[in-house]
Amino acid sequence: MKVTIKSWMGVASWRWIANDENCGICRMSFESTCPECALPGDNCPLVWGVCTHCFHMHCIVKWLNLQTMNKQCPMCRQAWKFNFH
Amino acid sequence: MEIVWSDFSESCPILKECLDSSDLAKETEDTLEYIYEVLWIEIGSFVRSKLAPTFWSCFKHNQTLAKFEKDGGSAEALQQQYKLFTNFVNAVKSLDAYYQFVRTSLEKLDGICQRADHGKSLAKLNELLRSALLSQLPTHFNNVVYSFYSVSFRVFFNLHQSTSMGQDNEDLDESGMPCKGCNQELEKCQCQSLLQTINEVNQKLVDLELLDRLAGQSMTFLVQQRIKEHIKNTCHGIFDRSHLKNLLTWLEDVVICWLMQVFHSKVSADPDAMHTDDGSKSTDVIQSLKVKLTFYVYENYALSVIDQFFSIIIDFPDSIPAIEDLKICMEKINLRRQIINTLKSSLEARILHPGVNTMDILTGYVAAIKAIRYLDSSGVILETVTAPIKEYLRKRSDTVRCVVTSLTETESGPTDLSEELAKGDAVKDGTKGNVNDELSNWENWQPDPFGLDNTVQTRTVKTSRSADIISMVVDIYGSKELFMSEYRNLLADRLLTQLEFNPEKEIRNLELLKLRFGESLLHNCEVMLKDIADSKRINSHIHSDTKYVENKQFDISSLIISAQFWPSFNKESVELPEEIANEFQKYTKSYEEYKGNRTLNWRTVTGKVAISIELGDRVLDMTVAPTQAVIIYHFQNKNEWSLDDLSTLVKIPPSVLRRRMAFWQSHGIIIESQPGIYKLIEDELPKSQLEKLPINEIITEDEDNESAMASASDQREEELQVFWSYIVGMLTNLDSLPIERIHQMLKLFASNGLGVEFTQDDLKDFLQRKVRDHKLIYSGGVYQLAK
Repeated sequence: MKVTIKSWMGVASWRWIANDENCGICRMSFESTCPECALPGDNCPLVWGVCTHCFHMHCIVKWLNLQTMNKQCPMCRQAWKFNFH
Repeated sequence: MEIVWSDFSESCPILKECLDSSDLAKETEDTLEYIYEVLWIEIGSFVRSKLAPTFWSCFKHNQTLAKFEKDGGSAEALQQQYKLFTNFVNAVKSLDAYYQFVRTSLEKLDGICQRADHGKSLAKLNELLRSALLSQLPTHFNNVVYSFYSVSFRVFFNLHQSTSMGQDNEDLDESGMPCKGCNQELEKCQCQSLLQTINEVNQKLVDLELLDRLAGQSMTFLVQQRIKEHIKNTCHGIFDRSHLKNLLTWLEDVVICWLMQVFHSKVSADPDAMHTDDGSKSTDVIQSLKVKLTFYVYENYALSVIDQFFSIIIDFPDSIPAIEDLKICMEKINLRRQIINTLKSSLEARILHPGVNTMDILTGYVAAIKAIRYLDSSGVILETVTAPIKEYLRKRSDTVRCVVTSLTETESGPTDLSEELAKGDAVKDGTKGNVNDELSNWENWQPDPFGLDNTVQTRTVKTSRSADIISMVVDIYGSKELFMSEYRNLLADRLLTQLEFNPEKEIRNLELLKLRFGESLLHNCEVMLKDIADSKRINSHIHSDTKYVENKQFDISSLIISAQFWPSFNKESVELPEEIANEFQKYTKSYEEYKGNRTLNWRTVTGKVAISIELGDRVLDMTVAPTQAVIIYHFQNKNEWSLDDLSTLVKIPPSVLRRRMAFWQSHGIIIESQPGIYKLIEDELPKSQLEKLPINEIITEDEDNESAMASASDQREEELQVFWSYIVGMLTNLDSLPIERIHQMLKLFASNGLGVEFTQDDLKDFLQRKVRDHKLIYSGGVYQLAK
């Protein structure tokens, strides 16, 4: 007997490749959205800092805008720099 | 007359003597006075001892036979009725004869005694007669009177009908049936003569001023019975016409006309100035009777409508005339309690039992809302009547699903609810407008109808009164949230079983639901539908990725979902064979390249697989569930598997695997050769057996019906898991607590924004589960941590 698979219609859930589950700022899951957004994923992306911490982009941008002096990572207090992969 | 005279003179010789002796006038006034008094006493005793008993004896005679008569209907009973009828006629006639005689004698006497106030002594005589008769009233006299009047009414009714129908009626009757009026052969119909007799008797009774006393009760009873019968005959089961007007005309034409005849026979026969007093008096009587009877008609008609109100609800838009009628009746009579009680019990008897589909109950509920709202715009009746339905529906587990289905299902023709939904947001504006209405339109404010259970009224919320049908239906559960989460589950199930990328219909439904329930509640669903659209785009992107396409063994399309926004899945899974898993790896890789920093978690048990199986010289093309594809895939390399081996390989518990196997067994490809051992059959089965098996059918049997989602109770428990640490903390500090305390304390946390609603029953289920897991100990009504 030989079984040939012609096509497979599957179901998968996507997730971010990150070292944590929740955004350290809004405490929402990464796969969910920041409090401001309605749609997850492309519309509410994650960003990584050089310090390896990651946040919802909207959350960290908001946070950085609030910092007047030196922009720090809210988790480790190092100077925040975006890590562009 | 001779007999009467002899009878009379026998019983009071003095009177005879007095009247005979012409020299009476010569006596002195004292003596005259004396004789006059004596004569009165004599007349009195004559009336008491002779006249009244003779009259009543006609009645007593029939006491035993009279039992038949109430049964009515049968020929025998009818015969009996006519017998009683003649008895009555005779009795009245003989009474009248005596009466006339006594009257003339009295007149003579008055003449002799030179009494001027003849009218007064006549009145005295009448009174004497009445009191004598009534004091000796036998118990069964009503039977006789009733017979008389029922015959009389029948005769009248028959004549009335034949005159109104004309010649046609006579043609119809000629089929050997006895005449309806007089129960005689048609050729010998005596209706006219009977009518004459009846009129005579009535007139005599009016003369004696006995009519009302003697016959009033029977007459009312008879007429009421006729009215009931008439309503039943003409209106039962017909709701699409208004009957009220016809009934009232009938009352006027037939019943009142007959009563007129009974009371007015004298006036019409002898319209003298002398009798106008009597005439106006009887007109009054008839007027008051008419008012009473009109109400009687209203009441009975209303009751008959109420009794059939369930059928009216079911036929609703067609049964509007009947409801209109009932509305008119309700303005006249307070029937609310009656309606509520009858309707409640009939609803309970007809739809609130396990034998009825939830869908049908819902349909009934919607129809009831429409019909009752038409009847009573205040909503009080509706509230009270539908309370049991709501309560019952709440107990059914599939209610929400049915509501959602009927809201969104348009394949099998629009249902009431989906039509309502399509009407759109008009209602939303309406509820807003209502508040303003109530303030600006206060002059038209009406208090709630009284006389109902007050507890019900105080509990009712104003908005729900004016709410539309969908809100009423959603209101069954009390919360929109619960309803919406059920919709989410339903939507998820539908999307995952269809596995198609064109959810236009779902999007339309969602838009409609959003208009009604607001965006925030349906946000999850919106994301779900967006996932479908996104998946379509991602798939086409990946399929155009040359690096992926060149390497692939078979096509993979995937629904890529945002897990946070979907209901949680059940925990089933299946381990894929390496070759297949590799294919998915490739797909994932391509996805990762497309969407940086994101990856996929495959849910292997959900989906559908198109496979072709080469078995000997056969080729089977099928679409199956992934689990089944995996199972048959493993049989490629090994013809025989034990259940346990396969179970460890695919990581499916044996009991579940056995069920999945059944699919291939039913296709005749795998058999269970020994218990627990499954074997592939390469050869084609004998023809006869093969025919029974639907091999080429693309079915996945009941697999499709199994939801990929976690069951509602599982989801509930997951929600409550949030509280577990609180519960542990509580019990560590306070040692042991009853469930009420735990519930109360948790509600404090819940109200602080965790936003999870739960009842004490939910909590109990959760705690019991923990007891089963040996995390808690339950004894003496309190929970403790297990040490």
